[in-house]
Amino acid sequence: MAARILKTFLRARPSIITIKRFESNEKNVTLYDPFVNKPQKDKKTYLEAIKIFETRDTRRRGHVEFIYAALARMKEFGVHKDLEAYKALVDVLPKGRFIPTNIFQAEFMHYPKQQQCAVDLLEQMEDNGVMPDSEMEQMLLNIFGRRGIPLRKFWRMMYWMPKFKNLSPWLLPEKLPEDTLELAKMAIQRITSVDPEVKLDVWQTEEIEASLDKTWVVSAQSEVQKVLLAEQPSDIALVVKGPFSVYMKDQVVTYFTLIGKTRPEPKDDKDIDDVSDLQKPLGIPGFIGSTKIPSVKCSVHEQDDGTIVAVCATGTSSRDSLLSWIRLLEKYGNPLLSEIPVIFTLSAPSSDIAVQETQPAKQEETTKVNT
Amino acid sequence: MNFVRKICTIRSQTPSTNFSRKFRISTKNFESSQATQPQVQDDKFDFEDLKVLERQERRKPQIKPFIKDVFISVFNKELLAYPEILNKEESECLAARVSALEKVFYDKSKTKEERKMALNKTKMYAAPVSLTNNGLAMNHTESLQYLEVIANDVSLGQEISDHWVGLEAVRKGLEAEQYQQIIDDLTSGDRPLKLCIKEKISERITQADFRTYAELDNQGIWRVTGEKVANSDSINGYLLVLCCLEGDRMKAFLIHPDASGVEHNGVFVNFKQAPATPLSEISEEELARTLAISRLHAATLCRTALTRAVQSCVSYIRPRVFSGKPLSELCTIRSIIGDAFMDIYASESTDYFTTGLLDGYECPDAEMEVAMCRNFMVDHGISNMLKLLAIPSLEQEEECKQLLDDIRHLAARGENLGSINMFIALNGVQHAGQNMASEIKQMRNPLYHPLFIFKKVMQNRHQEKDDPKLNLFLAEHLHPSLRPPSEQLEYCVLRMRYACETLLGRHGADVASAFNELNRLAIAGTEILAMTAVLARASRSYCIGLRNAELEMKLAACFVETSKDKVRRLIKEIDDGEYLNLDHFRVQFGRKMLDANERLTEKPIAKSFW
Repeated sequence: MAARILKTFLRARPSIITIKRFESNEKNVTLYDPFVNKPQKDKKTYLEAIKIFETRDTRRRGHVEFIYAALARMKEFGVHKDLEAYKALVDVLPKGRFIPTNIFQAEFMHYPKQQQCAVDLLEQMEDNGVMPDSEMEQMLLNIFGRRGIPLRKFWRMMYWMPKFKNLSPWLLPEKLPEDTLELAKMAIQRITSVDPEVKLDVWQTEEIEASLDKTWVVSAQSEVQKVLLAEQPSDIALVVKGPFSVYMKDQVVTYFTLIGKTRPEPKDDKDIDDVSDLQKPLGIPGFIGSTKIPSVKCSVHEQDDGTIVAVCATGTSSRDSLLSWIRLLEKYGNPLLSEIPVIFTLSAPSSDIAVQETQPAKQEETTKVNT
Repeated sequence: MNFVRKICTIRSQTPSTNFSRKFRISTKNFESSQATQPQVQDDKFDFEDLKVLERQERRKPQIKPFIKDVFISVFNKELLAYPEILNKEESECLAARVSALEKVFYDKSKTKEERKMALNKTKMYAAPVSLTNNGLAMNHTESLQYLEVIANDVSLGQEISDHWVGLEAVRKGLEAEQYQQIIDDLTSGDRPLKLCIKEKISERITQADFRTYAELDNQGIWRVTGEKVANSDSINGYLLVLCCLEGDRMKAFLIHPDASGVEHNGVFVNFKQAPATPLSEISEEELARTLAISRLHAATLCRTALTRAVQSCVSYIRPRVFSGKPLSELCTIRSIIGDAFMDIYASESTDYFTTGLLDGYECPDAEMEVAMCRNFMVDHGISNMLKLLAIPSLEQEEECKQLLDDIRHLAARGENLGSINMFIALNGVQHAGQNMASEIKQMRNPLYHPLFIFKKVMQNRHQEKDDPKLNLFLAEHLHPSLRPPSEQLEYCVLRMRYACETLLGRHGADVASAFNELNRLAIAGTEILAMTAVLARASRSYCIGLRNAELEMKLAACFVETSKDKVRRLIKEIDDGEYLNLDHFRVQFGRKMLDANERLTEKPIAKSFW
């Protein structure tokens, strides 16, 4: 027996072997697609289709083609991030049949088409960020044995995927919320996480009578930002900048910032090498610090291009909703906004720059027309 | 920078002196040990001088600041003779008053009113006032003696401490006429002086750290506005309030009892345009020096609290048994009590050493020593107290709670450990900076000064190996049996200059922001002061044959050994820098915790896959 295998092996030209291997790896789609006729495309029907395939033929002919077809339809059924669906697909493969029984089978890719199919399935899982579990390992072991290529792929995945899974400092839930308001809250929370004191507010533009867009506003501002805004001189305009994008997995949320003036950098022209006249504290027990207020940059909100005094995301991201945001900010703890002009430099609407002189509510209608 | 330290020059010393020192040729040392020999002084009495009515102070000429000089490894060996301030008559007078106070304060059945009456009878409320004003003209050494007894009632101890410090400030700050008008009322004891200095930490970035201000109104009256943290519950007496004026100046103001615009709100006192008398005769620096004495009092109060805890523990342990043996035979319990005893001894030595500096010399500069006394006792006191109170466990709940609360209150009263450590370190580093300015400049610019760098590397080669050459010969000024501890002290003193040099060389003029390293430097300095005081006291006691002096010698040797290790570790950490001593990482962890709104690390049973 061994001599015959060796003979066949020696007779075969290596080029033919290679070509044959590639030929066998081709993904052939079956003509019969059980997923097409499903009236409702969800997880339940997807799993039902797999079950029907399993029960239809005890020999499970065409299972590789079936798996490829099923993999291609996953997104359609919304199960591309569902581990259970992938497990059901792996379960389609027969157990024990593909396990190599000798060293040559193990070395020369036993049942290459089936192995390649399983690797492609795992690849798709990886692309969609679905972490396999130890049950899947057991299934693959039962199907391909511990020398199978899918197992090696599985182990590689299990080395890297857990390491990348929690690498982001901003933890997101497994499944992002469907509601855009909830998503916006998470996005604003993420970009304002630089200051743990930031407070998130959700307002409705209905509160402002003159508003046209009736939507929600997620606004974030800390006490320090309120103080910085209160310090803004009334002759220097505030600027609303945006829209900027923040990515939450595959979702994008647009946000806007309200920028104030920057306080000067601390000036330091002392000779750092001269230690002959170091400052020392006065030494009165109980007296620490200084009697003066620092008038230079000292908070995280004060950046080189301006001081970020508030951040928001609105339901429509329209200019009108942003105007309502400014009004709402004024209403909730920033009275100075009624006196300070606000400039909108938004790239989204066609008219690029608009000056909004914030006046009492009566004049709002006219100013909005101007903008 | 380490390259700079690789070279070292040999200090210019007389070889013959060193030779004689090595081989103990005692006659050679007569000059250096002269300072510690008893000196006979001729007292000159001027019988026509009317000032003889006042107490005569016997102060020696001004000396250089002691602990500041230690920061540049200069040691005033004269001070190893423990200071003796009081003469026979003064000591007898003091002992009589103290025993009168002891009768009342050691008796637990006496009420607060009775104790206050005793204070009044012994003229305690007028103690720092001059004899001509019906006071006692008490000096600092005596004040600690009195306070040690009075501190058995913690609230009265704090009250009298504030009162004494305030009285001194008022004496120096008010014009003579104004002072004479109120002094009798002040010293009556009915309305003692209270200090209002500390303020709340500001809650907005547009608030200054210190906000209470004073301004003149139209009628020429100073009005105080602001909020202060009050040290005591009631504000029925005179208040000494620290305020800022225009132009960043500080001034203390005296607010009379029942003045308008003063409100008490929990631990805070609010002032709304309260009329006040300015202490205009006293400068900011003098005011700081005067008020700083409250730190010395705080040390005494803390020490007394710890002593009470030891006594309480001892009375708990004595009648109890464990496994059929007396509980007092347990080694662990004995060692805890022993530790507390050693720290009490060290604190006592340091305090009276410092009062010796304050009372014994002209124009004393001992602010740092005073601050160190407080920090030493508070730091050791709290850790000892926790260990001591673990012995009765939960059996004496109320008593333990009270003792713990007392020491916590005393430790946080007025100011905290960190801010005092910063004060100590910044003063020391400033003094070192003045003395080493040119060296530091050259060290920080090594390529401009190659020769100096070579010299420096040679000079510091022993310091680099943590083995400085002991060339201060402190043992010559102590009892011979204290030679090993004195060498340990010498090692610590010699390392201080190196630590300052390293810090200044590393940070330059920005040294004030290296808080963690400065903290270590301050603790090291504090330990050195305690070591000096302990050695000086033990040596003196043994030489003059005080009772249990041999125990003092053992205490001193043991204390110095422990402290030396501590100082050695602290200076090593300074030398290592923030990465080797892990400061950098600890700071990062702290920052992460402060920045995070949620739990930072996952629970130990958490999994990332199943």
